[in-house]
Parts: sequence; C-alpha cells; structure tokens
Amino acid sequence: MSRRILIIGFFFGVGPLVTLGVAVFFIGNAWFGLSIGYQGPEQPIDFPHTVHAGAVEDGGIGLDCTFCHRNVALGAAATVPAVEQCMFCHSQITGEGSDSDTAATEIAILRAAAEADEPINWERVHRLPDHVQFVHDAHIRFFSERDGIAPSAVCSTCHGAVETMTVVEQVRVLKMGDCVDCHRQNSAPTDCAICHY
Amino acid sequence: MKTTRREFLKWSGVGALGTVVFVGCGIPEEELQIQSASKLPEDLVSGLEAWYATSCVHCGMGEGIIVRVVEGRALKIEGNPDHPVSRGKTTVRCQAGVQALYNPDRLTGPMRRQGSEFVSISWDDALNELTSALAGAGSSVVMVTDPMRGTLGLVTDRFMGALGGRRMVHEPMENTVLRTTVKQIFGQDILPKFDLANADYVLNFGADFLSTWLSPVSYSQAYGEFRQGGEHRGTFVQVEPRMSMTAANADRWLYVTPGMEGTVAMSIAYVLMAEHGNEIDSAAANALTGGGGAAALAAFAPESVTGATGVSAERIRELATELVGHKRSLVLGGGSAAAHTNGQFNMSAIYSLNWLVGNVGMEGGVLFNPGSPLPELAGADAGASFQEWETLAQEMHGGNVNVLLVHGANPAYGLPDSVDFAGAMERVGKVVSFSSFMDETTAKADLVLPDQVYLESWGDDVPEPGPGYQTITFQQPVVYPFQSGTRAFGDVVLEVAQSLGSDLPWTTMKDALQATAQRLQAFGRGSVSSGSFDAFWNAMLQRGGWWDITAMTTTPAPTPPKLPTERLAPTIDGPTGGETFNLLPFSSISLGDGKGANLPWLQATPDPLTTAAWHTWAEINPQVARDMDIKEGDVLELEGPGGRSIKVLAYPHPAAAPGVISVPTGQGHTIYGDYEIGPDMYRAKVAAGRGSNVLSMLSPLKDRETGALAWAATRVRVKKTGEFVRLSKLEGVVLPILPEEIIPIAGLH
Repeated sequence: MSRRILIIGFFFGVGPLVTLGVAVFFIGNAWFGLSIGYQGPEQPIDFPHTVHAGAVEDGGIGLDCTFCHRNVALGAAATVPAVEQCMFCHSQITGEGSDSDTAATEIAILRAAAEADEPINWERVHRLPDHVQFVHDAHIRFFSERDGIAPSAVCSTCHGAVETMTVVEQVRVLKMGDCVDCHRQNSAPTDCAICHY
Repeated sequence: MKTTRREFLKWSGVGALGTVVFVGCGIPEEELQIQSASKLPEDLVSGLEAWYATSCVHCGMGEGIIVRVVEGRALKIEGNPDHPVSRGKTTVRCQAGVQALYNPDRLTGPMRRQGSEFVSISWDDALNELTSALAGAGSSVVMVTDPMRGTLGLVTDRFMGALGGRRMVHEPMENTVLRTTVKQIFGQDILPKFDLANADYVLNFGADFLSTWLSPVSYSQAYGEFRQGGEHRGTFVQVEPRMSMTAANADRWLYVTPGMEGTVAMSIAYVLMAEHGNEIDSAAANALTGGGGAAALAAFAPESVTGATGVSAERIRELATELVGHKRSLVLGGGSAAAHTNGQFNMSAIYSLNWLVGNVGMEGGVLFNPGSPLPELAGADAGASFQEWETLAQEMHGGNVNVLLVHGANPAYGLPDSVDFAGAMERVGKVVSFSSFMDETTAKADLVLPDQVYLESWGDDVPEPGPGYQTITFQQPVVYPFQSGTRAFGDVVLEVAQSLGSDLPWTTMKDALQATAQRLQAFGRGSVSSGSFDAFWNAMLQRGGWWDITAMTTTPAPTPPKLPTERLAPTIDGPTGGETFNLLPFSSISLGDGKGANLPWLQATPDPLTTAAWHTWAEINPQVARDMDIKEGDVLELEGPGGRSIKVLAYPHPAAAPGVISVPTGQGHTIYGDYEIGPDMYRAKVAAGRGSNVLSMLSPLKDRETGALAWAATRVRVKKTGEFVRLSKLEGVVLPILPEEIIPIAGLH
C-alpha cells in the first residue's frame, strides 16, 4: 500500500512538475537567450565593422580581421584590441568632417578613454557557456591549412560576413549540435573532453 | 476561467518564488562584457599565459619558483621543475606569495613620522632624510634584516661596511645552535645536505623536517624517495616530546622528556660502543671519547638515564641495534631539542652518532655542501643569537645606537617581551624601516621607505641548505610594480651609498646582479653557459638560476671532536607545582614565525595534525584536560615567568604528552595584517588582534654555549578563564556517513 502511494506520488506529485519547470526554464533560456540574430545590449561605442573591415569598393578600408583581433590565431581568446591599438590610427582620425553624423561623437568616446587611460567594456555578442572551451587558434589553423587560405578568411565560417554588419550579430546557432555537426563533417574528434574540460 | 482570490494569491506566490529562485540562473552582466585594456604591450597577449622563473623569498630557502602571468598580472606560483632545490614543488608559503603582491595593506610610498601619525613624503625627501641621518650617525648604525645571501647580502654588507655599522640577522626560531653544531662536529660553515633520500634508517630528534625545519620542500621529496623510491622502505623513528607532523609520519614516535634528547643520544652512543664495538667506526669512537671507549660515557648507561629521559633502557638498546643493523643510517636533530639551555650539548650528542655509524660524507648520510660558487656571495647568513639581541637592546636603551635600519625582519614582534625591543626602539635616534607592510617594528619607525615585494624586484639567492652542489637562484621582476610608489630595497641602498660617496661599483641591483652573472659566465660550466653575455643572462633568467651538478664540495671531513662525559640537564624557567606544563612552541607550517600572518590563504591553511586554523591553540593531553575540566575551545591563560601570559584555545590532542603543552607561533599581531576580510557576519581583520604571540612570553633563558634563545625552556601555569571560543578546524566539519546509515534504494521497489 505504502509503496503504491510512493510510486504514484513520485510520478504524479509536485516534484516532477518542479523538475519539469526548471528544465523548461533552462532549455528555454539556452535556446532563446543567445542565438542567431542576437546582437547583445548596446555597445559603449557604435563601432562599425563595415567601415573598418568592409571592402574598399563598399566604402570600407578593408582591414583583415587579424589586423585588430591580432591574437586570434595565437591562443584560445580572439581578443579585442587594446585602446592603445585603436589610437594608432585614431590619434589622427578624429572623425571630424566625416560624411557620417555619428563618427565624430563615437570616436570622441574612444579618445576620451585613451586620454583617461581607461579600458572600454564591450558587450559580448558571441558567448559560450562556462562549461565549454573553445580555442580559436586550433580552428583557424585547421581551416586555413586545409583550404590554403589566410587566417582572417576563416573567421566568416562561424561569424558570418562581419564586414557587412553595422551591428555585429550572431549568424550560427553555436550550440553543441552545431559544434558536433561540424566536427563530424571535418573528422574532428567528438570526445566529451575535447570541449568540456 | 474564474480566478478566485485564493488561487490568485497562490499563483502570485509561485511567481514570486520563481523570481527569487531563478534570478541567480541568469548570466551576470559583467560576464557578458569583454574589456579592451587601455594599454597592452606587444609581447603581452591577452588570453595567453606566460611563466617566468624567479626565486621565492617568503620561505627563506632560496627555492626556485615559476609564476604564471596573464595580461601583466601574476596569478599562480608553482615550483620550478628545473630547480635543484624545489624540483617543481613549493611550500604553502611560496604559494601564497601572490597575496603579498596584491595585499591591500601594502604601503604605497615613503612616510615620515609626525607625532603619532605617519605623513606621506616624496622619495627625494625620504632619501635626503635617510642620507643625512646616516651621514651624521658615525659608526653607531645597526641594520636588522632577515637572512640575505647572494648579491643583496653582498651589496648591503659593503654598504654597512662603508658606514662602519653592522648588520644583524633576525630569525625568531634561530638556527644558531644547529650552525654551531655543524661547525663543531663536521667542521662546516654551511649547513650540510642530509641525504635522506638514500638512507635506510633515520633516527630524528625533534627536527620537523616535513613541515618547517630548514628546507621542507627538499626534505619532503627526499622523504618520498626514502620511503618508496629504493628497493625497500626506509625505517624512520622520531624522538620528540611533541607529536609533530614529522613524528606522525614516523614508524615509531618516542616521547622524551623535553631537553633530554642529547642524553638519549649519548646513551645510544654508549650502547653502540659497549655492545656493538665491532659494527661501528672505531676510529670515530676513539676520537669522540678521547680513546676512553665506552667507559668514558659510563654516566650515560641506559639504565641510569631512563628515569630522567623517559625512554626505557630496552628502547635505547633497540635504537642502537637498529642504527648499526641498517646499511645506511642517518641521525638528525633540531627543533625543540636545540632550544634548551643544554641545546648545544643535545645537538652535538645527536649529530655525533653520525660519526659512529660512519655515514659522514657518504651517500645516505651527511653530505657537505660546497656553498656559494662565488666567494664574495655568502652561502650562509647566520642569524644573531639571542644574547646578541639582548646586547643590542641594551645598547639601544643606553642611547648608543643612532640609526636602526630594519629590512625583512620584525624584531619587535619576534623577540620575547623580556628584551623590550619596542621600548628600546624609542631610544634610538632614527629608526628606518624598509618593510612593504605596516608591522609591529615599522609602526615604531621614524621613516618608512617601502620595499617592493619579490615578484616586482631583482635579486638572487644561494639556497641553504643547498642540493649538494653549487647553486644560485635568480630572482627577476615578473610583473610591473603593483604599487608604483615603492622602490626596491637594494636600489635604495645603492642610491644612498652614492649620495654618501661610497665607492660601490654598482648603481642599481640589476647592475650588481649582472656583475654576478658575468662572473658565473666566466666559469664556462654549469647549467647555463654561453659565449655571449646577453644569451647567458637571458638563458639563466629563463632557467631560474645557475647550478653545476659536478661542483661538489672538496673539503675533507675533519676528525670528530671529543664528546662531553658528564650529563647536562636543561634548566626550565617558570612556575612549578600543580597545573604547570612545559611550554613547547612550534613553528606554524603556514604562518612560519609570523611573517605569513597577513596572507589570508596562509591563515586559512589548517595545521596538518589538528586541522585548526585562524587561531592560536594549545595542544594538551586529553586525560589531563578532563581532570582539569578543560574542553576544546576553552580559553586558557598560560602564565609564564615574569608574570607574562598569553591566551590560547584549548585543543585536547590524543598524542599530547601529559607534562607538555604545545602552542604554534605566528599569531598575535597587533598591527600587521590590519585589513578586514570575510563575509559580513564573520568580517574580521586578517591578522591584527588574532590569537596570541607565544614568542612574546618566553623566558629569556639561553643555551649555555651559543647564547641562542632556549625557546622550549619555559614552564607555564594553565588557568581557565571561563571564556569559550569555538576553535575553527576542518576535523568534524563534515560528518562521516557510515555504510549502514545509507538507505538502500532497493527498498523503493
């Protein structure tokens, strides 16, 4: 008798409902939180990748990705450039007289940060959970060696055509299924500990 | 659907609960940010780590460490796997070094005393003030430092030599007796390498070599070899009045009456000569007894010493038989065995046994260290004996010291109150401290010129005890100075020397180190050699130092000295009668002699045996505690000679002997570690006002021959204060789950 009550209680009681609720919350959070089209909160500076990385014929200056994200092929982190590095050019380029209305005001924020010797806190757009490790240099090395292309030509495989984005957004799902699909297609290992360590 | 009021409340309750429960599941805002540093040098890649080899100054053994540096911040310290002393391992004190770097208590710039307060001044003013004080002081300048071997020692000694002053080395748990013994018994100025790794049998009188004695890192590794590395497991017997961590690891631990260790050793010597005459080194036996043989040591026959030592005659005979029954036996001594009025007698007797078993200069025995490869760099920096400190304090009281310079030492904390060093400092014309932190000595200073911590500055060290061959550890700055207003002590000394017109050949510590490196390069041997100085310098910094495994000592072993023939009992000072105990202070594995107390990691590191942390506790025999109605956590007052007393928490310890009470060193700071840590309800200062300083209440008894402080020769009366403080310890925090208490899952079906 008491065993039956236990079983009924176990299957139909409040416990499973709560468990289900928690699961739905987490899955929903993971699914809708950061995915295709995610642009993140407002950035401290409206940085136009179109101007910096866009092709010259489109009005950009056609910098390689690695010109600013210079350590992406060296280690795990893609790294954002130091303010000092921005100032290599922007100590001269103030945006005054630009045909863009916002250039001068946005560059002024950068120059103020450089003047005050303060960092800039960018909002992260591409983010993996803490239990996943992604190492940029290994992926870049693989694709650039396999296809015989420059490291900076590999970035768009996952990040899309950033050079055409005024505001960077996520173009791939970047969930585990996405990772594993790509790993299988390229005969890369799919051991758990490859990413979860 | 109609919603009743009751249902509405229910669902709004669920909603509120959900908000509370799931609010922590979101991603914190700062984790969604990525920072562009304002400046990033080209060789510094964000996200990539760099490991730099340098030297640990915390532990005082010249151990090589490597430091993980990411984006210009030192994050983790590990042992340098290449370095002959540390071999990839560190002590807990080295590990905590990064907390010294980022310590919120660090002094930010030079200060001058005005009345009872310190005011910030510029470096120019500070250096001018120091220079003029030294210029007018004549020869009555005394510098107090921690042991400084290597180039910094050379620079400082040349500086003090030019001034005509003197430098004194302060070690609270001094090694004076050990040094004198090593000199007398083995004729060595430098501590030998005790080759534990290759021994078969170790008899140890009180040296806690696995936690604090000399070089625990190298001894711990050697101990592993000794137990598991060879063909068979080495046997290890500890003779000590307290069960230390080392004693707990021994095959057998024998309690000996405090101060009678030497008598036991002499008795073993007697048995060896009388009963194992043909198994021992007879030439050594002759030299030790002046040709008298066993008869000369008749006063130490096992039966006659049993009562005084607490070790039975059978045990003594057993130890003697085991000593000669093993191929390679080693006898060690230290700790409280040396810290008695008869400390020198004890230690000579103990170390003489090595002659009898014939292991001097042999593998698995006492191997001599060659010391420093460069004669001008000291391979040892012996501490001044307690007698010399008393003399200095008297001189200071008499107004005979014009300038007192203090670097790396805290004598106002580390010397017993009977010396009244703090009081004596008031009579000194000018006290200048080079401490990175405000401590008990610096608080009494007139001028403070804060030093950089070792992760920010240049230096080198000759490890002592060395690995058996010539070794120099190099110390390089691994990060930019975190406190940019501080200056390295060596640089300040050299700058002041220049303004005083001394002819020291260097202008900065880096110059002096490069001069040292040039001398090493000229040898053309060792772990690093190169024709180009730049290549040599870089390779050596990368490696963490220079060593030459072929450069062993060439000094032949001397003839052993004659042993005393009379018994010498220790004098113990303090109250007698009921409820009195022999106080055995012991060096804390984490806080050491108190220097590490301002680092929270070290405070939180539990003692290996009691698992206690954050406090000063007293290990007392459980039966005695029951008789006196003392429970764990009861605040006891230990009343010593001269009315000096401290308060400690009781810890009934199953392995504590009835007549002794053991108290760790390192706590009881009043000014050092003066910042608050912890969550609100437990918020407290990291070291200031925490626990008691057992060194402060010690009787000023000295070893008869060397004048070293007999820190184990104090007797205390234990009084209950009626207060209770829960002792913070790991033991008992997690309740063990017994197998039968687990409910079988099968019961559900």
